[in-house]
Amino acid sequence: MSGVLLDSLAAWWPEVILSAGALVVLLTAVWSKRGQIPLILSWVTLGASAWALTQTGVSSNAPFFGLIVCDGFSLLFRWIALGSIAITLLMIMASQEVRASMRGEYLAILLLMGVGLMLMVEANHLLMAYLSIEFVSLSGYLLVGFPDNARAAEGALKYFLFGALASAVMLFGMSLLYGMTDALLFPELLQKIQPAAAAFPQGVLLAVILLLVGLAFKISMVPFHLWTPDAYEAAPMPVAALLSVAPKAAAFGLLIRFLSTLAPLWQDLYPIFSSLTILTMTLGNLVALAQTNIKRLLAYSTIAQAGYLLIGITAGTPIGVQALVLYLIAYLFMNFGAFACAVAVVEQTGSESLDAFRGLSTRAPVLAFACVLFLLSLAGIPPLFGFMGKFFLFGAALQAGQTLVAVAAVINSAIALYYYVNIMRLMFLQSAGEAQALQPVPALHLALGVCALATLFFGLFPSSVLSWLGPIRLVL
Amino acid sequence: MLLTSLLACPLLGMLLILVLPKSSVRWIRGVAVVATGAALLVGLKVLGQFQPALASMQFEERASWIPQLNISYYLGIDGLSLPMVLLTVLLGFLACLASFGITQRQKEYFALYLLLEVGMLGTFLALDLFLFYIFWEIVLVPMYFLIGIWGGGRREYSAFKFFVYTLAGSLAMLLGILALYLNTQTFDLVALSGKASQLGLGLQKVLFVAFFLAFAVKVPIFPFHTWLPDAHVDAPTPISVILAGVLLKMGGYGFFRIGYPLFPEGAQWFGSAMAVLGMINIVYGAFVAMAQTDFKRLVAYSSVSHMGFVLLGLASLTSEGLHGAMLQMFNHGIITGGMFLLVGVLYDRAHTRQLDAFGGLGARVPVYAGLLIFFSLATLGLPGLSGFVGEFMAFVGAFGVWRWQTMVSIIGVVIAAAYSLRVIQQVLLGPLNERWASMPDIGPREWITVAPLVVIILVIGIWPLTLLHLQDTSLQQFIAHVTR
Repeated sequence: MSGVLLDSLAAWWPEVILSAGALVVLLTAVWSKRGQIPLILSWVTLGASAWALTQTGVSSNAPFFGLIVCDGFSLLFRWIALGSIAITLLMIMASQEVRASMRGEYLAILLLMGVGLMLMVEANHLLMAYLSIEFVSLSGYLLVGFPDNARAAEGALKYFLFGALASAVMLFGMSLLYGMTDALLFPELLQKIQPAAAAFPQGVLLAVILLLVGLAFKISMVPFHLWTPDAYEAAPMPVAALLSVAPKAAAFGLLIRFLSTLAPLWQDLYPIFSSLTILTMTLGNLVALAQTNIKRLLAYSTIAQAGYLLIGITAGTPIGVQALVLYLIAYLFMNFGAFACAVAVVEQTGSESLDAFRGLSTRAPVLAFACVLFLLSLAGIPPLFGFMGKFFLFGAALQAGQTLVAVAAVINSAIALYYYVNIMRLMFLQSAGEAQALQPVPALHLALGVCALATLFFGLFPSSVLSWLGPIRLVL
Repeated sequence: MLLTSLLACPLLGMLLILVLPKSSVRWIRGVAVVATGAALLVGLKVLGQFQPALASMQFEERASWIPQLNISYYLGIDGLSLPMVLLTVLLGFLACLASFGITQRQKEYFALYLLLEVGMLGTFLALDLFLFYIFWEIVLVPMYFLIGIWGGGRREYSAFKFFVYTLAGSLAMLLGILALYLNTQTFDLVALSGKASQLGLGLQKVLFVAFFLAFAVKVPIFPFHTWLPDAHVDAPTPISVILAGVLLKMGGYGFFRIGYPLFPEGAQWFGSAMAVLGMINIVYGAFVAMAQTDFKRLVAYSSVSHMGFVLLGLASLTSEGLHGAMLQMFNHGIITGGMFLLVGVLYDRAHTRQLDAFGGLGARVPVYAGLLIFFSLATLGLPGLSGFVGEFMAFVGAFGVWRWQTMVSIIGVVIAAAYSLRVIQQVLLGPLNERWASMPDIGPREWITVAPLVVIILVIGIWPLTLLHLQDTSLQQFIAHVTR
């Protein structure tokens, strides 16, 4: 027994360090209410966890009695989770909005969310999947509702109500599935799903669809996207940024693992996925066109981006999954970057209106330049990282013979250009007028710099990232 | 390394400008002139070392870039791309001189301008389809800002329209590129033209149309041309020169480098449509130009008309027609580039472009008048000047293949004479409008930007073989490949 645990820990040190660090941060916060110590400890924890991740990484056996798997696939997603937490921490340091009410507990919740995110992509068991999703969701509700104002409370409540409903539906689906297959471990499920589907064809499909609803909620897939703009608008900017990337990435990871478990049912699920993929990107883009609030615009933009990501799943091939992961890595940098620009503008102008971006090129040239990089990358203009991701996604769709999805994605890319370029227009083509110059704080500069460098560098030299994708061999 | 250094000149210039302080305008201009000038010199060196008798690619450079997808940084030049490269470096340098009139945000302007030149040169030099696409798209972003920030009129609208139209076309090409790769497993353009016969006719048709959409927006081919008058009119003078002189050629060059060699059967299937589209471009563009009262808009529509000859020549697939099409691309860049420079000279002085606001300037500004008459005559295709040669050859080539389309197209030449002469009449002749009684004649800097174009128009008009022999070997191989 203890042998199994020790063996399991060997591959799981990053999570152990992160959890322990979070608890230490929580404890120190009791004494140092607003001091720098919890912040420093959080960074130390993140650093130690990242170091552990470089050391341990992949393990061939199934840790913790097969509840989780630490394979190459989850390794990439663990890095994405750690990276998201680190960038969010930088943005929190730059945000007055959060700092005013920030206490050590806040940082502890953030770090613990990291553990949850990692567990989500490692889950190899229905219960583990459910628990990790709930873990991430609960920390999300708390992070949204933390600031001491009515708006945050309303946002958190909306997010919670939608989320709780989705979780309940998912849990119902899981219980149905368990009842029909008598399996909780994913590998067992894979073996038993075929006979179960033969015995109860409609029942298994219903269970799976109910289960997928929970994940669809997390990745804000249409029609389960309604919470997204409201929650983002109410949440502090750095938290909105985190929610737009980290839980989404982890949910995609879990979705892929889960669908590869349900591979025998893929023929039935495929039509649902392909139509919802097209719907998600089209609706996200069309509604984004009408937005005048930067948070809501970015929220709808992330819905549309989720639509592009779904192409990788719809394709249902190894290339599709690799393309999805590639785009997720690109999305991590460009979406965080875009949010970081918004943080800089909203922090100093106090306005969330798009008008606050007017004349940014003269008020903060470097910021405006970085912002253009992120927007163009989101729009998929080469030679930026986002383009590489789209290139692979579109290619995967064509390779899988899904010309319709590829054409829809291309038309959507042209539509999306409008609102991305609109922000560029405000920044560069319009004069600043009375607006004042902006001076982002160093932490934000660091976040922007990292994201901008990655967006540009991996766009120009994507081969290094592509070589990381090699180990991914999941088939739907 | 010659071709890489050609790309490196403007790129290094751009990086240098980015680190210079905003206030040192003289230095910024200096760097831009040196960078574009160096590119021009390297371009001339390439011309000097180019061997016209060789049909293969020359000055090839290849380095692995994204090995997972077999993508390489692959540059090369042949008789089809050399004239385009020369056109780019020449107009790039002259328009840079003409950019001295830009009075605000010079640092951003010249940085974007140099990035634009990198994109244009890269498009003509790339022999890897993926690399080609990257350069093709790089052109969009600086162009958007150059029109949008320094333009006039409805600059924001025009810049955005340009961006969306071109991107929509490019996205069709992107799908085409992906589909092509999935069928051939390579992006190497030389290898791809060798594999053309492996693609079935149905696939060739689809792919040709996908690439056609991207190129048609750039050329621009009716009915995808509506971005052009807006963008040309609202862009600042040097950018109009680049737009008309180089950007439109990217579309034409795309047909020569990709559309025809990669999908020969698809292209032949599309031949009759291409001829008709060429005819529409020529006649429609000329008629609409005739109706314009804004000088710049008139020149813009004359571009639509003149690019029609390129399509007609392409559709013919004869030696004369293709020579004419290539020549017409080069000539149009030189002549229309010059025309836009002259419009800019007039606009700088009068701050209006309405043709009926002028009159009688011939006596007031005689040197300018002489140049305007010269370029107008070149536009209408006067024998002895370069425009005539290209149009004549395109007609000769097309007449044997697409008879009635060619005959209708000839109307366009007549209209071209009408609107060109109307420009001369309305601006230079008649009673002097007293508002311009004190208008100064063309200045030395403006002279320098126009003079090389005058020389080239004369040289090619009198001795077209200077250009024809550069492209002949490559074109013969092109014909043999496409019509085999």
